[in-house]
Amino acid sequence: MLKDVPVDPRGPRFSAWMTTLILVVVLLTGWWRLLAAQTVLFAMCAFISLKLNPWGHVYRAVLQPRLAPVSEREEAAPLRFAQGVGFVFALVGTIGYAAGLPAVGVAATSFALVAALLNAAFGLCLGCEAYLLIRRAAPAASR
Amino acid sequence: MTGAWAVLGAVVVTVATGLLLRSREGRISTRRAGPPAVPDLPEPVRTLLAPGAAVTLVQISTTFCAPCRHTRVLLSDLAGRTEGLRHAELDVTRTPEVAARLGVLRTPTTLALDPAGRELLRVSGVPERSALLDALRPHLISPIG
Repeated sequence: MLKDVPVDPRGPRFSAWMTTLILVVVLLTGWWRLLAAQTVLFAMCAFISLKLNPWGHVYRAVLQPRLAPVSEREEAAPLRFAQGVGFVFALVGTIGYAAGLPAVGVAATSFALVAALLNAAFGLCLGCEAYLLIRRAAPAASR
Repeated sequence: MTGAWAVLGAVVVTVATGLLLRSREGRISTRRAGPPAVPDLPEPVRTLLAPGAAVTLVQISTTFCAPCRHTRVLLSDLAGRTEGLRHAELDVTRTPEVAARLGVLRTPTTLALDPAGRELLRVSGVPERSALLDALRPHLISPIG
């Protein structure tokens, strides 16, 4: 697992909007292959490196040069944890759709959409806020 | 069609959750303000109590918490400029049982403790500087330190 350097906080916000868009398309069309691709993307960012996020590259190439620079930086660890939370929901959703259980697919994708949109619109990281709740609910898994 | 309803539902839930969390950001609570008896404070918190400080702000953080960094910057600056106020941070990523014993469910949560370890107040989320200072003032001018 690579260690990521802190990033411009507006990059992850842009990335969250793109994730939101993808998840809305998945819900409207039921196109599970797109959700599978998003699941792989979540996994790469969470378990390998944030540098593999294509939206980050789009942000740095297209948007960042047009914006005023900010000195503020955001730590990578919370961002990667959030990608991991997204990965779990997207994985369950993909399995649901692909296995002919659309209710499971829709429910899991909706949860992922809430988390992505909270991040995009409010700058809130639900998985990070709820980390202690998750640990309390699943203490056995983490020991 | 189900998908469209799911999108609509997710948007409504998101806006409601976002507004709720935003309204609670920086909220100061004295609900758990301790009784006069010596409190049952977890050891990792007790060791952070600054001797000689009227109030110690103990910030409960985790590695996965983005606003914890903003809170750290704000509180250490506030403590540096305020007589009798200290700031310490406790990372509970690997010791969530400490957070559970304190009744802390989200990070950052900041506890304001007196020299005996009694809880004066707690702040949920990133504190609002002037509101926090106002709430702490009565404790800071008490003739302790």
